[in-house]
This record gives sequence, C-alpha cells and structure tokens, in this order.
Amino acid sequence: MGTFVMRWAWLIVGLGAAAPSLAANYVPLPGGSFASVIAADNKTAPAQIAPFRLRTEPVTNAEFLAFVTAHPEWRRDRVASVFADGQYLSHWASPDTLGADALPRQPVTRVSWFAAQAFCQSEQARLPTWYEWEFAAAADAHRPDARGDPAWRDRILSWYTRPSNTALPLVGGDPDVHGVRDLNGLIWEWVDDFNALLVSGDNRDQDGADKLRFCGAGAANLREKENYATLMRVAMLSALKAADTTNNMGFRCARPK
Amino acid sequence: MKLLTTILSFGCVLALAACSGKPAGDAATPAAAGQTQASASQASTTPGDFGPPQGEPIHAVLGVPPNVPPPINRNYPAKVIVDLEVIEKDMEISEGVTYTYWTFGGTTPGSFIRVRQGDTVEFHLKNSPTSKMPHNIDLHGVTGPGGGAASSFTAPGHESQFTFKALNPGIFVYHCATAPVGMHIGNGMYGLILIEPPEGLPKVDHEYYIMQGDFYTTGKYREKGHQPFDMDKAIDEHPTYVLFNGHEGSLTGDNALTAKVGESVRLFVGNGGPNLVSSFHVIGAIFDKVYYEGGKHAQENVQTTLIPAGGAMMAEFHVRVPGSYVLVDHSIFRAFNKGALGILKVDGPENKAIYSGKEVDAVYLGDRAEPNLQAVAVAAQAHATGTLSKDEQIAAGKQLFTGTCSVCHQANGEGLEGVFPPLAKSDFLAKLSKEDLIGIPLHGHTGKITVNGKDYDSVMPPMGQLTDDEVANILTFVLNSWGNPGGQISKEEVAKVRAAGPPAPAAGH
Amino acid sequence: MKRLWIACLSLLLLAPAFAAAPLPSDSIYQLGVKLTDQQGHSWPLSERRGRVQLVTMFYTSCTMVCPMTVDTMKLTRKAIDEPARDKLDLLAVSFDPARDSVEALRRYADKRQLDAPHWTLARGDSQDVRALSALLGLQYRQLPDGDYNHSTELILLDPDGRIIARTSIIGRLDPTFVEAVRKALATG
Repeated sequence: MGTFVMRWAWLIVGLGAAAPSLAANYVPLPGGSFASVIAADNKTAPAQIAPFRLRTEPVTNAEFLAFVTAHPEWRRDRVASVFADGQYLSHWASPDTLGADALPRQPVTRVSWFAAQAFCQSEQARLPTWYEWEFAAAADAHRPDARGDPAWRDRILSWYTRPSNTALPLVGGDPDVHGVRDLNGLIWEWVDDFNALLVSGDNRDQDGADKLRFCGAGAANLREKENYATLMRVAMLSALKAADTTNNMGFRCARPK
Repeated sequence: MKLLTTILSFGCVLALAACSGKPAGDAATPAAAGQTQASASQASTTPGDFGPPQGEPIHAVLGVPPNVPPPINRNYPAKVIVDLEVIEKDMEISEGVTYTYWTFGGTTPGSFIRVRQGDTVEFHLKNSPTSKMPHNIDLHGVTGPGGGAASSFTAPGHESQFTFKALNPGIFVYHCATAPVGMHIGNGMYGLILIEPPEGLPKVDHEYYIMQGDFYTTGKYREKGHQPFDMDKAIDEHPTYVLFNGHEGSLTGDNALTAKVGESVRLFVGNGGPNLVSSFHVIGAIFDKVYYEGGKHAQENVQTTLIPAGGAMMAEFHVRVPGSYVLVDHSIFRAFNKGALGILKVDGPENKAIYSGKEVDAVYLGDRAEPNLQAVAVAAQAHATGTLSKDEQIAAGKQLFTGTCSVCHQANGEGLEGVFPPLAKSDFLAKLSKEDLIGIPLHGHTGKITVNGKDYDSVMPPMGQLTDDEVANILTFVLNSWGNPGGQISKEEVAKVRAAGPPAPAAGH
Repeated sequence: MKRLWIACLSLLLLAPAFAAAPLPSDSIYQLGVKLTDQQGHSWPLSERRGRVQLVTMFYTSCTMVCPMTVDTMKLTRKAIDEPARDKLDLLAVSFDPARDSVEALRRYADKRQLDAPHWTLARGDSQDVRALSALLGLQYRQLPDGDYNHSTELILLDPDGRIIARTSIIGRLDPTFVEAVRKALATG
C-alpha cells in the first residue's frame, strides 16, 4: 500500500532540458564557528557550520514559473492545501502566467516553505539552514562578518522601516564578499529549519520562565539583544507555519560543499 | 475564507507547547482545533466573572482616536467579538515629514476598545497582507500569561484568535510585543481598552481618547522628508518627537477637541511610551477627578498627573470658561520643542466672575495654517533653475513661517509681550546686520534684548532643522512683512553664516 | 539526493490501487515520506489512512517531557471505552534518526510496554522528519550535546489524515481533547 513516494521524481525534472534552474549560480562559503544570535546550546556556544554552497540570488518569478510548468502539482490551482495557503502565488496573472505584478526578474514571493523546498530539490539543492543563512547575511562587500559595523545594521533597518506598499525591486543587488546578492534588504527568505528557532511568540519571556514548555531547556535565548536587526528576521520566521505565504517571503537554495 | 480557517486549524501558534504544570486556562495555550476555549468553569469563584456570556455575540464598535465608542449600557455579560487589523503605513508625523507607522486599525494610537467587566472577549487579530512584519498584541486588561501576546503572534496576511474574560474594570493599555518590542511600540503600536464596571461610568457630555508616545527619527525635529526609525536614539531615550495621538497637530487647529461652557469632559489618556513617563496637564483646567493609573480610586482636584509608559488614567472635569485649553506633557520642552501639544476648545459665554483675563492659547499655537508647502516646492525648484524671484521667496517663506515660527512669534508677527519678541515693525530687526539676522534662526538666541521698547529675556533654540534655502526664504518673508524695511536673503548668504559656526558666547552683546 | 517527500496530488490520482477516494487536499498524507517502525517495517505515511491516529513526536533519550508525553497518550487511550479504544492508533515519530535506530525504538517500546498493534514508534530520515514536523506544526532543534529542544503536542488525525484536534496539555488528561478523540472514533 501507499506506493507513491517518488524518490525518482526529481530525475525527470533534472533531465528536462528547459529547466532554467540548472543555470543557477552557487558559490562556496567557508562556514566555521559562528556567533549566531541563537546560541547553539541556548547559552553561549557558537554555531558550527560546515562549508556549503549558496545560490547567489534569490529565486525569481521566471525561475519559479519554469518550475511550476515542469511540476504542475505546484501550480496555485493544483497545490494541496496542506502545502500552501490561499495566497500562494496569488499575485501571478494566472496559474501559469506572471503578468504585470510579477516581473520575471523580481524575486518570487508568496511561496510556502513546502514549495520552496520542492523547488530547491528540483535543482538538486535544499533550503539553507538558519545558521547558514545568518552566516552568509553577516557579510558586506568587504568582510565576511560586518555585523559590528553600524552601517551594516542600518542598511537592514532601513529596509524594515520601508512599508511594502510598492513593487519589489528586481534581484541583482551588489554582490557581497562571497559574491552573494540581496540577502538583506530585498525580501524575507525561508530557511530549512524555520521551525527550529523556538522563539516564543511573546518577545519578552526568553529566559527561565518557559523552561517547562520545551523539552530540555527554555525557548531559545537570543544572544546580543541589541542585534535586533537579525532578531526581527528570527521573529518573522517563527511567526510562520510551513504552508504560509506572505507578500515578502521568498527563498534561495543551498547545497552541501 | 475557508483556506484561512484551514490554516488556523493547524492550531499551533508557534512556541506554545506546554508541558506539565501549566494551568489549563493558560491564555497562551490554543485550544484544540475548532473549539473555543472559555474559562467559564470556575465562574462562581473568580471575582469579576459574572458567569457565561448571554445573548447573541456582539461585534465591538471601535473608537477612532480621539473618539471613544459609546457607553455599553448593558446589564448582562456578553460575548464580544473584537476585530482589529494591523496595518503598516506611511503617514505625516509633522508637516512635510513622513514616517512609517505600524498601527492597530490604521491609526496611532490604535482603535479604542470598550467592553464590560465580565464580558467574554473573542479577539481576532489580523495582520494585513501588505505588512512586512509579524505582530501580536498584549492587552494589559487580560488575565493570563503575556496578555495574549503569544496567542496572537500573527504573520502578514494571517489572522489569530484568542478569548479572554475581562475580569478587572479599568482603563488599560494594549501594545504589540513582538521583537524588538521597543521598535514596535516606537512605531505606534499601542492603544487603550476600557473595561467598564457593570454599572457603567457616570454620564458626561464628552469622552475623548488621547495617547502620548515618543518617536525616534534619524532626522531632527521637523526635518522634512521621510524619516526612518532611529534605534540608537530609542535606546538612548532621546526622542525626536513626543506627541499626542501620533502626529503633530492631531489635536490642534481643526482637530482640536471641543466642548461647551458648563459641560463635563472625560479624558481617557494613555501613554504608549516606549520610554518616557508623561506629566499630563491641561493648562487652565483642574481635574475634578483623576482615576490615576487607570484604577478604581480617584484623586480629586488634580493639576498634573503622572502617566507611566504602558499605563493610562481617566480624568473628569468641567469646563466653565470659554477659550482654548492646552494639553501638554508638563516636562515642558517636550510640549514646545517636540510636539506634545493638544487643544481643548471651549465655546460659550464668558464668565468674568470666574476668569476675566486674556486668553493664552495663542501663546502655544497661534493660527497655524493647514499644511501647504506648495510655494516652498515652487521656490526650491526655481532656485534650482536659477530663476528664484523675491516674490517666490516671500511666498515660500510665509508658509515655512507658519509651520516653524508662528508658534511663538504668532502668525501676525506680533509675538507675545514680555515672552516672545515681535517681528512686526521690529526696531531690533531693522538694525541687525545680515549676518546677525541669519545667525538667529541658525544658532538661536539667548539673553536680554529690547524690542520696540520692551525687554525680553528668553531662549530661542536653534532651528537647525531648516535648510539654507528655507532660512533664506523665511527671513526674506519677515523682512518684507508687517512694516519691516524689506530686503532679500539668499541661500548662499545663509550657507556662509552656517559654515562660520555659532558666535563665541562673549561676542554677542 | 535522497529526500523527495513531496507527493503530488496528480500522481496520487494515477495510483488508485491503495485508496478508494482521492486524498483530501488538507490531509497530511499528501506528504510522501517513508517511516520505519520498531519492528523494522517501512511504509509510507499514507499507509496510516483509514484509522483515527493519535500522533506525537519524541525521541527515546529524552528524559524530561517525552516520558510524560507517552504516559499522556496511554491515559488518553484508556479514557476511551472499549470497543472504540481498539480503533485508535498511537503513533510517535522520533526527532532523532541518528540515535533512534529500529533497535532503539524496539527497546524503548519493550521497556515502556508500548504494545503493538496499537502503538507504533517510527523513524524517518532527517529531512523527512523536518517536513513531517512542519506539517504537524511542531518545532524542534538539536543541541550540541545531542539533546533536542522541541515543542510537545498530541495531535488527532481523522481517518483521512486531517488534523482535527490538538492539545499541549501533557501529564494529565485534557478533557476537551479526549472528547474530540471519542467523537472522531464514533464517526470514523
């Protein structure tokens, strides 16, 4: 019974000559020991990140259109409701047309975690973990970790304080020191372990009080509370369920080294 | 929205799983999907619990500030449904200055909620699909962990629901508690919920809703254009603006609160913070009663009352004499240099037996015109193209004067005798050099001067927020108005004085 | 590339042999993950279709909440009268595939007297476990010492795999939840 697990499905996709995802550019990032805002042990331990490769750009509308064309089960009119909510790709003109509100080079948004995972699998990749994403986003044009520089933080904050009532810019911002673009200041991005952040919905009870809520420890203690720029991204991710989509939530993919 | 329901039925507001030892009525614990959790089981033993809700569910009428929804006038506990939508939007914080507000219901402060003690409140928090951020709500009137915050953590384009019983009467603040809390509050996410005692509140002629808040922008006070939030200033507790109801001018001019002589007024005043404590005062009025801290007991005959950040109070008083009563935070620089001003305008016959003096409201506000900076834009453009005429400068200067200078010097340039020197037919101005004249708006003025035979000894702060061409236009307007000798000041002349810096203290007079 | 758990509705429709009617769109059985139980049998998640399931996620070396979770599942089952009780399946899926081998699951089942056929302890590969937790709305995160932070809930699935109730009350019975189980068994 139940023989529909399709471990071979991606092979079909991989052979599809038109798959534009094959052209996607990935660059190597070194990883290493990294002082994340979420301590690995909820106290002070840095995260240990294995070397990995990251897509240089977020996935665009054009790329996602090619994906749903090759995998019609991910069209907005066919997707199972457990995998994507009612707003999934709702800014597209039709289930297989982008239209005026979704330009080909704009990052794709209104995609669920499941849809993002499926896309990444279609290009033999996965979503980056939170630590991988945070590690990459710590860079600026010259340094792999620019988080101590107020200018780095201000750039992120200025994006937060811009309301989302205007069209998203196209992908293709300036590359950082790794050659990765648009990590900060364009969209929110899904991560593989978005439901591992264990941040309480209430920002204020982050130590002690919730010890019993989670096996083994309290909710994740966020380090460096002044590092609110990153904290807000954690809050956003932890507000979401895997089938949720929002106007500003897109993704990029990662691969092991 | 069937789909939305489906999503919600997945339950799990994140990070909520309770282990043992948590009370069953934990407000932060969502009930099993599709079932509403009501804590009615212990009705008889909990004070303020008047039993299960009766009658048909009621949809709460929400008050748009400064208005308050009508009194409840109901003698049984009901189920009250509150629908509140979070909207992120750009609005004017001051003339020509925009700010991105995060709001409960599209306004700062957020919609006023009014329920009765013992009511079961079914709260629906919606986060607009156009929002960028997740938000939640902590109602200080809720008994339960987080005041509903964890149960209402809501991503853009989604909705959360939780239910609580309003056990304690009083006036309570609500606010967003999503990380970083200070930024969400600083962007305007606060409001008031009134939980009426069963017998209601004594009848009054007017009820108004006011909330103070401090705002932190990267630019200076009244610096034009879009101003982003400044986290460093917020952490340092150095606000750029301290405001009533979120915007400079939200309670002045045409927006002033109104009443008639002999009427009674009730003010619901909250303080959203995020940082400052308010010394709330109404100039020219004495509160008959202040229900300080929003609680049960009233102090009588109060001049100034302290409202903590995240707190509220209720004040009742009668207006017996016509005129304009000025609402201030009596930490007074906030009122005159950061915007914490409002007006209660009282119409009716004079009562000289009570008060026979000259009205003083003009001291604080004058007749500031509606925001109209069209001429300013024309002048800026003309300057850019090298065609700026003196008339264009005067027209632009007049509008800028209204926004910046008329508060003290008055729209007619007459000033206020003994306090703010006149600019009209001013012998002091006439004998100033161009450089000294330009220096006054740029660097301010301190110390004793004599104008038209009267002595003045007050402080004018530097108007550093004005650009070179704005200073040039204002001064050109002043020089060519109210019988002054005429003349013209150019942007370049202002730039030169600015570059030279303020004079050494001794060099002045 | 070893994780391809996304089942697609369209292909599901082409494979009618194992299901009389198409799966509802909101069924968690849309997820094409494979699990392996304490007896070493592997099966797709959708094989649970047809019976009411009480589902949780745990790991065997968890000492704090997980034993209470298992006890609460036992209590909940006991609260249901015969014969309805026998129509209820209990499924606990491990967060910890690295340490929870089939052997480890079997030992745990023996020690805690979690008897087949109504009890199933299961493991899957790590990506499948992440996807299943996302679908169930559970959170977990591995700590450097190998333990996990995780949220704890009991989740009730109807015979078609739709989530119809959940509770985070652990350590004692949640009467509302028990009532939901009773109702599901009566109609399922």
